[in-house]
Amino acid sequence: MTSVGSGYDLSVSTYSPDGKIFQIEYASKAVENSGTVVAIRCKDGVVMGVEKILPSKMLCHGSNRRLHSIDLHIGIGIAGFLADARQLVNRARSEAKQYKSVYGQPIPIKVLAQRIASYNHVHTLYGSVRPFGCSITIAGIDSTGPQLFMIEPSGSCLGYYGTSMGKGKQAVKNELEKINFTEITAAEAVKTIAKIIYSVHDGDKDKDFELELSWITRESKIHQLVPKEIHDNAEAFAKQALEEANLI
Amino acid sequence: MMMDDLKLTALPEKEVPISHHRFEPYVDNGGTVLAVAGSNYCIVAGDTRMSDGGYGIQTRHYTKVFKLTDKCVIATSGMQADTIALRKRLDTQLRQYERDHGKSMSTPAIAQFLSNTLYHKRFFPFYTFNLVAGVDEDGIGCVWTYDAVGSHERVRFSSQGSGNQLIQPLLDNQVGKFNQQIVDGPRELSAEQALSLVKDAITSAGERDIYTGDFADIVTIDQKGVHFEKFDLKLD
Amino acid sequence: MSSEHFKYPVFGQVDYFKYNNVASQLASHTPSPSHSQELGAKKRTVDPIVTGTSVIAIKYNGGVVMGADTLLSYGSLARFNNIERMKKFGKSTIIGAGGEYSDFQNLSQVLDDLVVDDGCTDDGTTLSTTEIWNYIARVMYNRRNKGDPYWNSLVVIGHDNNKSFLGKVDLVGTCYQDNFIASGYGSHIALPLLRKAYKEDMTLDEAKTLIQDCLRVLFYRDARSSRFIQLSIANADGLVITEQIALDTDKWDSGDSAKKKKNQDGRKKKNNYRNDSTQVILEYGHNVV
Repeated sequence: MTSVGSGYDLSVSTYSPDGKIFQIEYASKAVENSGTVVAIRCKDGVVMGVEKILPSKMLCHGSNRRLHSIDLHIGIGIAGFLADARQLVNRARSEAKQYKSVYGQPIPIKVLAQRIASYNHVHTLYGSVRPFGCSITIAGIDSTGPQLFMIEPSGSCLGYYGTSMGKGKQAVKNELEKINFTEITAAEAVKTIAKIIYSVHDGDKDKDFELELSWITRESKIHQLVPKEIHDNAEAFAKQALEEANLI
Repeated sequence: MMMDDLKLTALPEKEVPISHHRFEPYVDNGGTVLAVAGSNYCIVAGDTRMSDGGYGIQTRHYTKVFKLTDKCVIATSGMQADTIALRKRLDTQLRQYERDHGKSMSTPAIAQFLSNTLYHKRFFPFYTFNLVAGVDEDGIGCVWTYDAVGSHERVRFSSQGSGNQLIQPLLDNQVGKFNQQIVDGPRELSAEQALSLVKDAITSAGERDIYTGDFADIVTIDQKGVHFEKFDLKLD
Repeated sequence: MSSEHFKYPVFGQVDYFKYNNVASQLASHTPSPSHSQELGAKKRTVDPIVTGTSVIAIKYNGGVVMGADTLLSYGSLARFNNIERMKKFGKSTIIGAGGEYSDFQNLSQVLDDLVVDDGCTDDGTTLSTTEIWNYIARVMYNRRNKGDPYWNSLVVIGHDNNKSFLGKVDLVGTCYQDNFIASGYGSHIALPLLRKAYKEDMTLDEAKTLIQDCLRVLFYRDARSSRFIQLSIANADGLVITEQIALDTDKWDSGDSAKKKKNQDGRKKKNNYRNDSTQVILEYGHNVV
């Protein structure tokens, strides 16, 4: 961070002289401290993966989920404060439900993403609130095909072929740029994401982590955690790739 | 001939529905329950027929007697949907009481509690006719009888529901032994006598009351707990 | 039965010669939503408009079968001829609906949302049929408490964990389970037939035939029913709602074609699972002397 506060960071209703809203920058900091999230839009679906850092060895496997379903056809991945993100997840679920009750069809991914972005944005406008300390990726399939969006604390909402959030963001981006997004399938992307997450995990700084993988494919049309067998295969593949890389 | 003469006179005009019935929130699903208390037991019976509000039978297997605690049951006839709602209410609140107090509510307390529950809904009452039956803290058999809005009375025996008029006088005579010049044997019935009387009573109601029949739940409550048994009635 | 029962023209009730005053005849005969006077224009189902009739279901050895016709009536008008009145909810539940169809569509939306919420929770459990049935019962009871009922009879079938479920809920919240259930007109006509013909451990085919026989009798007697039906089945293999089936009924052609057809078909073969009198009633809807 360039300069610290000097009085302009107390409220989102005040800009700093060089045109920044510090509270939003701080919120982004909260996101950068979080475990890495990777998402890839493939030709036949969307896949998300999370490096879920475990603060304690005693945590139950599968607790503190960072990948959630919103509707049958939509999932969300989280980087940053889980508690803040839960607010967005709940909001997304009720938006999806409301859209369906009004229009009788599933909410388009873009519409949902923009509505959540607006919700984020209004939290950057008033002195009485703080921005959400989390970024989310929204993945789903609608009538236009597989869709992937990322929403940041500022309320920005952009569509991607591949994106990442959290600690390993930069390193992941370098890896993602090598992928041919028009050719890659969801099945391949699962392995790729597993490999990327294992490669960017910083074992010295962080303790254990748990790999979370979810996807939605054209075949199933339902967003869900990647089935155990495929998950385990991908994880084994990632570990092996990492070992080989370390030997060289 | 003029064209007018050819007009048909008998074509029906647009018909008006004879009446617009309003939504009727109450249905009487019928059924009979009764209870007899002794010094250390209480016996409850209820048939399992559920009528559709008229001549039809919706199901032959709907139990009207519901266990509230190890020492207390509630037996309810009237509208089944209200009965279920009332039961659920009592059940959740009794379980809350159990957690708050570390013991289950006593039967006399449940009796008062039910009255309050019914009374608070007196402007849109539960269409239910209840008996609370069981043993109190001293193990003495007890029965409370209610109207739909919470009036209640502790009695030694009572009946409620569609067969009430058939059963109550029988109990008055055989259990209460009211207005008898010569009473043969002790005034108090043994548990065995009460059981057989209760079975005869519900069978008798089934003879004449079209809303009572199919099967009966016979429930015995004493210090040992609540014991259910099935008993056949007429299926017609 | 009181005259209130008759809401549509019946001989002797239609004032062909205008004995009654003219004003009452100007009112429309078309069924339309009416709103109670004392509550002003507040909208609620005071009278069902587009309605489905009976639903019938029975448990058999290994599952449950349910049947309903595909007709929606607008008063006495056969308005929509090919509408499914049975709908899947989640992986193990099917609901068959009679009564106001728009109310059922609204309730379906509520239940779909419930199932999606349950799926999103992703805790490894899903709503069982019993839970869905119980939920519906609470919804129906709450709506009757508001004086704004869902005007439906709902038959709920399902099969989870090797256990069959068959239950019913109506517009005031009455709810129960049984081995066989018939709603609407079926509770008057099909239920007595089911009581005679039902036996435990029926095969799927026997159960399907029994349901179809009941629906055939209903078609003969219930003027708001149709010959086109669907069956749904819940068993260990999952849920199935069949395509539309046209019931084979007595030929009601007139003239020569009727005579020929009668001779070709002959009478139906006897089924072995019920006695003669039930057989006759199930085939013809009445006792043939």
